[in-house]
Amino acid sequence: MKPMFRTMLAAAALLAMTGCASQQGMYDWGGYSGLLYQNYKKPETVAANMVKLQEHVAVMEQRKAKVAPGLYADLGTMYLQAGDRDRAVDNYRKERAAWPESAGLMDSMIKSLAGKPAVEAKS
Amino acid sequence: MKVFLAVFLALLVTGCAAPVTKSDFSAFQAAKPRSILVVPAVNKSLDVDAPNYLLTTLSVPLAEKGFYVFPVHTTRTVLEQEGLYEGDAIHQQPPQALASLFGADAVLYVTINRWDAQYALITTTVTVNFDYRLVAKDGTELWKANKQMQYAPQTQNTGHPLGNLIAAAVSAALTRADPNYLPLAVMANDQVFNIGPTAIPVGPYRVVN
Repeated sequence: MKPMFRTMLAAAALLAMTGCASQQGMYDWGGYSGLLYQNYKKPETVAANMVKLQEHVAVMEQRKAKVAPGLYADLGTMYLQAGDRDRAVDNYRKERAAWPESAGLMDSMIKSLAGKPAVEAKS
Repeated sequence: MKVFLAVFLALLVTGCAAPVTKSDFSAFQAAKPRSILVVPAVNKSLDVDAPNYLLTTLSVPLAEKGFYVFPVHTTRTVLEQEGLYEGDAIHQQPPQALASLFGADAVLYVTINRWDAQYALITTTVTVNFDYRLVAKDGTELWKANKQMQYAPQTQNTGHPLGNLIAAAVSAALTRADPNYLPLAVMANDQVFNIGPTAIPVGPYRVVN
């Protein structure tokens, strides 16, 4: 019985979401919420989720479609947490360019990364 | 007399319709927020993972409503760097301070009142209940709402009393083993932001067709 409920509930949730999406969905999220959820639920999937998000934004760029709010920035933070500062900064810059509301936060993220030496100094 | 009666009836009918009170959005409309900072929730449930899971469900509905929503994972990371790990500590910060730290127009606070599965003999009821509160960068409350969503597995009628009992027990045991809260949280958010008297005004990116 359970799988059926699950399916029904998932279908209802999907309807609720795509119900909005078909009428008013503005963005292609590329499974962003689900990827974040997996990050928190199964930390061993973080690297794979980061790749998926990267692929999604690459597709969006290819299509010249607007990348949804926060995607570049959270991808940047995933890179940062994986130790890749250059890609982190690169994505923070893209978020800032796409969404002017993010400027204050992105500037301080970029600045704090630029200010740090390449090898983490022992505090 | 007939006309009078008709008017009276019409009044009665609309009188019934009217009491659906719509939230007061004058502060919201005056503040015209463009961007919303979603901070980790206060957790009154026993599930320690609930705030993280809930956090992943809030960006999409608010952004589709037309607001810039700050990246929730980045937000959480920045707050941790500030020493703010728990919703309780975060919600105690003045909204003005949080808004200015991120450059946000408004802050969304959510409190998780319920995120649980209640077990009875042969049924399991899964419940989520949230308090939502949106506050402007100057501290003005723009909107608040509460939403509860619940589901109890319904089992198919097997046409046999003992069969029904067993089917219900199996279903309840499975739900108990791994209750799935996320679809309920998604539905709660969708309903509270988009449907009925609590539905919030659209943001600047929403293209009205």
